[in-house]
Amino acid sequence: MKKLTYFPGCSAHGTSEEFDSTLKLALKTLDVELEDIPDWNCCGATSAHVMTENLAYALPMRNLVLAEKLENTTMGIACASCYQRMKVTKVHMDENPELAKRINTTVVEEGTYQGTVDVKSMLQYFYEDIGVEPIREKVTKSLAGLKVACYYGCLLTRPKNITKFDSPEYPVSMDQICEALGATATEFDYKTECCGASFSISNTEVVLNLSGQILEMAKESGAHAIVVACPLCQSNLDMRQPDIEKQLGVKYDIPIFYITQLMALAFGYPASQLKFPKHIVPVEGALANIGKIDPEAEKKIKKPIKAVEAESEVE
Amino acid sequence: MARVGVFVCFCGANIAEYLDVPQVVEEVKRIREVKYAVDYKYMCSDPGQGLIRDAIVQHKLTSIVVAACSPRMHEKTFRKALSDAGMNPYLLEVANIREHSSWVHQKNKKAATDKAMDLCRMAVAKSIANEQLHEISVPVTKRALVIGGGIAGIQAALDIADARIPVVLVEKSPSIGGKMAQLDETFPTLDCSQCILTPKMVDVASHPYIELIPYAEVIELQGFVGNYKAKIKKKASYVNFKTCTGCGACWQKCPVKVANEYNLGLDKRKAIYTPFPQAVPNKPVIDAEHCTMLLKGKCGICAKVCQPGAIDYQMQDEVIEREIGAVVVATGYDMWDPTPYEEYGVGRFKDIITSLEFERMVSANGPTNGVPLRPSDGKVPKNVVFIKCIGSRDEAKGIEYCSKICCMYTTKHTILLHHKVHDSHAYVFYMDIRAAGKGYEEFVKKAQTDTAATYLRGRVSKIYKKGDKLMVRGEDAQIGQVVEVEADLVVLATAVSAPKDNPDLARLLGISYDKYGYLSEAHPKLRPVETAKAGIFLAGCTQAPKDIPETVSQASACAAKVCGLFAGDTMKKDPMVSTINIEYCSGCLNCINVCPYTAIVTDEVPIGHGSKELRTVAYINEGVCQGCGSCVAICRSMAINLAGFTDPQIINEIVSI
Repeated sequence: MKKLTYFPGCSAHGTSEEFDSTLKLALKTLDVELEDIPDWNCCGATSAHVMTENLAYALPMRNLVLAEKLENTTMGIACASCYQRMKVTKVHMDENPELAKRINTTVVEEGTYQGTVDVKSMLQYFYEDIGVEPIREKVTKSLAGLKVACYYGCLLTRPKNITKFDSPEYPVSMDQICEALGATATEFDYKTECCGASFSISNTEVVLNLSGQILEMAKESGAHAIVVACPLCQSNLDMRQPDIEKQLGVKYDIPIFYITQLMALAFGYPASQLKFPKHIVPVEGALANIGKIDPEAEKKIKKPIKAVEAESEVE
Repeated sequence: MARVGVFVCFCGANIAEYLDVPQVVEEVKRIREVKYAVDYKYMCSDPGQGLIRDAIVQHKLTSIVVAACSPRMHEKTFRKALSDAGMNPYLLEVANIREHSSWVHQKNKKAATDKAMDLCRMAVAKSIANEQLHEISVPVTKRALVIGGGIAGIQAALDIADARIPVVLVEKSPSIGGKMAQLDETFPTLDCSQCILTPKMVDVASHPYIELIPYAEVIELQGFVGNYKAKIKKKASYVNFKTCTGCGACWQKCPVKVANEYNLGLDKRKAIYTPFPQAVPNKPVIDAEHCTMLLKGKCGICAKVCQPGAIDYQMQDEVIEREIGAVVVATGYDMWDPTPYEEYGVGRFKDIITSLEFERMVSANGPTNGVPLRPSDGKVPKNVVFIKCIGSRDEAKGIEYCSKICCMYTTKHTILLHHKVHDSHAYVFYMDIRAAGKGYEEFVKKAQTDTAATYLRGRVSKIYKKGDKLMVRGEDAQIGQVVEVEADLVVLATAVSAPKDNPDLARLLGISYDKYGYLSEAHPKLRPVETAKAGIFLAGCTQAPKDIPETVSQASACAAKVCGLFAGDTMKKDPMVSTINIEYCSGCLNCINVCPYTAIVTDEVPIGHGSKELRTVAYINEGVCQGCGSCVAICRSMAINLAGFTDPQIINEIVSI
């Protein structure tokens, strides 16, 4: 059994509880045990880093120092914002030992920062440490028939020089995982557009507009549902969807799944364990497509698209 | 006793602002041998040189120190001043108090002044031991090598050859013509590129003074100015050019299709091919990477259909040597690859093309017969968005510099689009319109009026697909809003970048290149076509991005430089070369190993006076020696002397500080 240090973040105990619980189900199937960081604290997002540099680094550093006391070399983070703060801190501290020493004086009681624990988002962990093929092997109930638009948001792959994961503009890791589950990932150009993030509370209008465009493009791509790996993306697209529909006068009816919910579903867990009632937009309509394989998608499965066009051909 | 004159230059404010020039003068006056010292605003100017000339006569000076800029800048100028006053020019010493002091110590005037004084003291001390030296004459091989057969290389070769100087023109690809042969029309006059270029290509092939070596690369250059030896690798073409008539039977029958480089992969060529119908020489070559006969030994159709029997599958690469006196490097440029613009979906969306691809499409001999077509569905586009500065002026994703030609060729493209598709509409996203050049601004204004193209000042942030259209989202900074344009085709004005082989070529030739890979000129203003290595010149985009008129001007300038170099039968050379005192030479020959110019050979001399027995000693060819001093440092018998840098001179310098 693999072990992974886990930083759930505050939202896992609130709005994104279904992310947390289905993540644990999926990892159980993949034979990974989570170890919580003892006495973890807030990552600081999104207020600390606009207030003071010291606080912005010290909060994540305390978690990093505590994580170093566990034996695992990787920390998995569910929330994209937490991941961002933790990763930025790690990269900046590793690049600049002087800065690390200075910040460390704030969290001196917890110990000395070593930089021995790597920080990954759960998406990155699934993609790099587990791998697409092992995920495919665990599928007992294929999601074939379900078309999904994979939405990464702004933080999971950006900035490129910090995350060093996938493409900052057109990432494909989640698409590949969804395809491994049997679903079809649509060609979706709004993968990394802004959802409006925390403006949801302070300036809802902005979120209605931005998230509305994402829903529009997802629908345009032919998706039955959107898949995310970020709690804030999920809440903006799901919770605000009725308001968006009202504002734009369009009915979208697109449920927003966490990638882990689909994984757990494909791994054979009953729907009753996947916390679907927590969703604002009902999921049943989208899930009804599972098993309804349209002939075109079938053709695609049988005949995969050629990756690179052959360089030369002989008549 | 030595009588030294010291002349300290202000260099305007370049030196005077950062160090105390009068104080330097006062300090050097305290040196016993200094009989005259003076400062002046611009010592290199005629009145400045006059000061030197007059002082030499008036004060009966025996050596001169000029404290000014780098000797690479004005050593020649001041040597001439000495000559004009009847003094041996090599009695001059330059103390570089600009690059070595005022420019690098701008924040500490006291330290800069002290350092300038030290530099002057050293130069005075050295000059006391200076000896009269005389220029060396070396024979010149009057033949030029031109590397690269684009418009720059073609123009340079023709101009040199017209002066009846033999030229060897080496081109990497099977035909000369370069990027210009891929263009449809040229700005700002809309001349047909082929019509003005191909006659010049034919002239090259038929010129009695030009030896054209296509499909070949320079692999080695040895020697020095006037006496270079170049090794040229002729790549196996598998076609005997002497017997081939260029009839075309072979490429018509060849069954292998390969992406056509000339049309940037927009269509296919055969494995035996000429790059384009107007190619010079108009002889095909076999692409060994794709020919099934060469790869698997199967096919052989081209040999069967070739009437003159010119196909030779056994042909090997061949290395030939040419003795030459000067080199013109004209390796052109590469188009920058826009793949890093992921937010535009480059590589994902077929209907995003580069400007050169657009150029090929609108060319009459292009893959779409002169009509731009969407690569996705072959339809004629109506709304075309041109995005400028792709890679240019982009520190994050591309290169910092302005590529100089994109504003103009994009303007040209809006006109060509308007000519080919009358009901089309062009949108141009731009940062600035840079139209400096004869007739350029007028060209842009006229194009904007005639084509009614919509110019939007701002960067494009994203391109996404909606149905079969591309949605281009960008900023219109003039109204301060985000705009979206529904496009059928998007054309990226990709940057000009240095040829990727340039660093390798620069090492091979022994010249320098900048951080982008462009070859460096000797001086950005006053020696823009020369490299720091004597006898090697630069033409065209290999030095920096430039348009055709500028390229042609620079190529002609190179030709003038080459002709000037070859004006006499011999060439003058600085006398700072090493000589060996064979009395001291033990014949260890370590000097041969360290000499980077292969200027040292062995010689046999009698053991003693009148003796018949011989011993081996080293001998330095002063024509080849560049005066680097490596041999002096390695010689354990101290038998080698470098004129102008003798041991007494160096020891004087050291003792003086």
